[in-house]
Amino acid sequence: MTDNVADKRALGRRQVLGAAAGLGMLGPSAAFAQAGGPWSQTPRSKVDRVNFVVWTYGDIYSRIGKQFEADWGVKVDSTISSFNDHPTKLATMFAAGEKIDVSQSSPFSFPNFVNQGLVEPIDDLPGAAEYIKDFTAFTGQVATIKGKTMGLPYFSAVWVWNYYADMLEKLKIDTPFTTYDEFIEHCVKAKRDGVSRYPVLWVAGVGLEQLPGTWYQMTWNRGGTFFDKQGKHMLGPGSIARETLKWWANTFEKGLDIADPESLKVQFTTSAKAFGAGKNLYRGPNHHYGLNVVNDPAQSPIAGKVKVHSSPGDGRTIGVTHVYFLSSANRNKEWAWKLLQYLGGKTRDGNYTQAVALAKDAMLGSGYTSVMKSDAIRTGWAPWGDVDAILKTWDKAAYIGEVCPSVYEPWHFPWTDQLNIEVQKCLTGQITADQACDNLIKGIADAKRKV
Amino acid sequence: MPAGRFAFFMNVPTLLLLVLVLAWPVIYAGYLSVHRVGLAQLRRGEFAFTGWENYGRVFEDPLFWGALQNTLVFTFVTVSSELVLAILIALLINQTGVWTSRITRFLILLPYAIPPIANGLIWSFIYSFQFGFLNRILFTLGLTDVPVNWAGNPDTALYAVTVPYIWRTLPFAIILVHAALQGIPRELYEAAAVDGASAWRRFWHVTLPMLRSVIAVILVLRTAFAFAVFEEILAITQGGPGDATWVAAWYSYKITFSPPNNFGMGSASAFILALMIGAIALVYMRFIYRRVTL
Repeated sequence: MTDNVADKRALGRRQVLGAAAGLGMLGPSAAFAQAGGPWSQTPRSKVDRVNFVVWTYGDIYSRIGKQFEADWGVKVDSTISSFNDHPTKLATMFAAGEKIDVSQSSPFSFPNFVNQGLVEPIDDLPGAAEYIKDFTAFTGQVATIKGKTMGLPYFSAVWVWNYYADMLEKLKIDTPFTTYDEFIEHCVKAKRDGVSRYPVLWVAGVGLEQLPGTWYQMTWNRGGTFFDKQGKHMLGPGSIARETLKWWANTFEKGLDIADPESLKVQFTTSAKAFGAGKNLYRGPNHHYGLNVVNDPAQSPIAGKVKVHSSPGDGRTIGVTHVYFLSSANRNKEWAWKLLQYLGGKTRDGNYTQAVALAKDAMLGSGYTSVMKSDAIRTGWAPWGDVDAILKTWDKAAYIGEVCPSVYEPWHFPWTDQLNIEVQKCLTGQITADQACDNLIKGIADAKRKV
Repeated sequence: MPAGRFAFFMNVPTLLLLVLVLAWPVIYAGYLSVHRVGLAQLRRGEFAFTGWENYGRVFEDPLFWGALQNTLVFTFVTVSSELVLAILIALLINQTGVWTSRITRFLILLPYAIPPIANGLIWSFIYSFQFGFLNRILFTLGLTDVPVNWAGNPDTALYAVTVPYIWRTLPFAIILVHAALQGIPRELYEAAAVDGASAWRRFWHVTLPMLRSVIAVILVLRTAFAFAVFEEILAITQGGPGDATWVAAWYSYKITFSPPNNFGMGSASAFILALMIGAIALVYMRFIYRRVTL
């Protein structure tokens, strides 16, 4: 929904090429500031400023904003909030009629944003086809909604386990677990020997992919899903998801009491920080990049002692890509597209500047195949963990949408609210796994009514 | 100009301001609550009328009833604790003969100056299971040998949130009670003392009746604010574990601002909350405030 009449002009590839050809006859300086791909073309229209609404991550946005201003002479305004506050901030700005050129989304909020008209498709924009060709499998699954490409990748991550090598050595265990039974054995031994009061720290804090992600990952690794391709739930009695929850709940206080009670509060980064205290043997499956916190000497007393570990069985795991998108509330589509590329694509020099910086500085994976295969990943990740081991896990990862296809549905969000509640009640022994799953089955209809 | 008319005109600007700032959002929320309102509709300003549908959805939602129950428990615990503590502390700092009471009077205001979110974050750290100050103190004093999961245990989480809330808002009640205490004529106490009344009887028959009006004000205001508690929940538990600390305002927030952003249903739940607060305020005024004015 672009409000300016001038902005409502569709910017097709043909138009841009036609304009470029025409202007090209006038001389090279008139059309493009610099020869090269579409990312280096100067938009024909003029704007004073552009803006993005994102969640905070270090200083990446001030850096890329400055680069955009230096390259194009257009000021970049930013609205930056915390990850959890971002959907609220974006929603209120959109509802209040403010201009938003570019924003970002987790894959879980994304179908809702698309459904509510916040997002514009990018298929026809200059250079989009090249980006799409370079998308990794995850990215294609997240960014494509109802057959249209709705965004460019921010970062990708896969779920891996971590273990504290010194503690394993102290327990005289040669290698980390290869089966879930072995995992329990190790944890029980660590507790019995007084090496760790709570040998496992799970990521079970409330969130869209924190607590749910842990359950999704372990269910998928055991061969289960939450919904089948036709949308029928797979949570009934005897289902893999239900049995996984029973197993998981048994690690908490009312069962084996090997799970750290902090698990119920921690998110991805906070769990890495808590694990850095060196009190747990294993850190449950979660985003791989936590290693750059827990193996950072400035942040962790056990830096360098935390190793990455893949899941039991065939090692299958889950992965995810977060995206940037072109807002329908943009002030100028050409410039918004330009800014979107700076965040989720190429800068004027034709480099994936942001994706490479994120790989190097934050150990994040990229949504582009070419970046994933580049040296940026190897050199960027090497200080924090075993790059080969993570990339091996990467190859065995499926997008969360395959495990829980409801992520594509607008009702997934309210259903996840209930999932967080039911599973936490189960993990704290207030209800059984059977009751939790039964409630979640009933909750599907309730969630659909809330949409 | 007659005094009555003059007073009316003098009140008009205030009235208009209150209507604009206070009444309009409430009326608009009421309007939204009977329409289908998502993000797209809100931006376009076009809402389809749905009648009482949103209210029906709220009443059908078991989570709403759970949140309401938690809100009632939270309100009862915080308001009653605040009232008792405020009277006790105000009586103490009202002792003019004790010079330290002047310092106490100043220090007591500090928690009220702390932003609610910052307060929540401070207490979140205090309650931390393995690294929190509270468990560390209890452990050091030998009162426990295992850390207590204050905010992570469904049996204690709601009560754990009441403490930071009381800590932050108590000064307001203390100030009101302290001000009221200073307004009680000394002669009443002197007369009671001449009649041989003990300290307890002086409190019961002189102080407490004279505090009734301020108690009514505290009850109304603190109940209204406790019913709408949000910041401490956001900072400490985010409603968890499970739904142990889902309160009514948290419910409205989640329904409204989390995708799919059902502003209509969120407004309906907020409106129900507002009506409940209004009803409770009327009860207070009828049974406590009126007795004083009679």
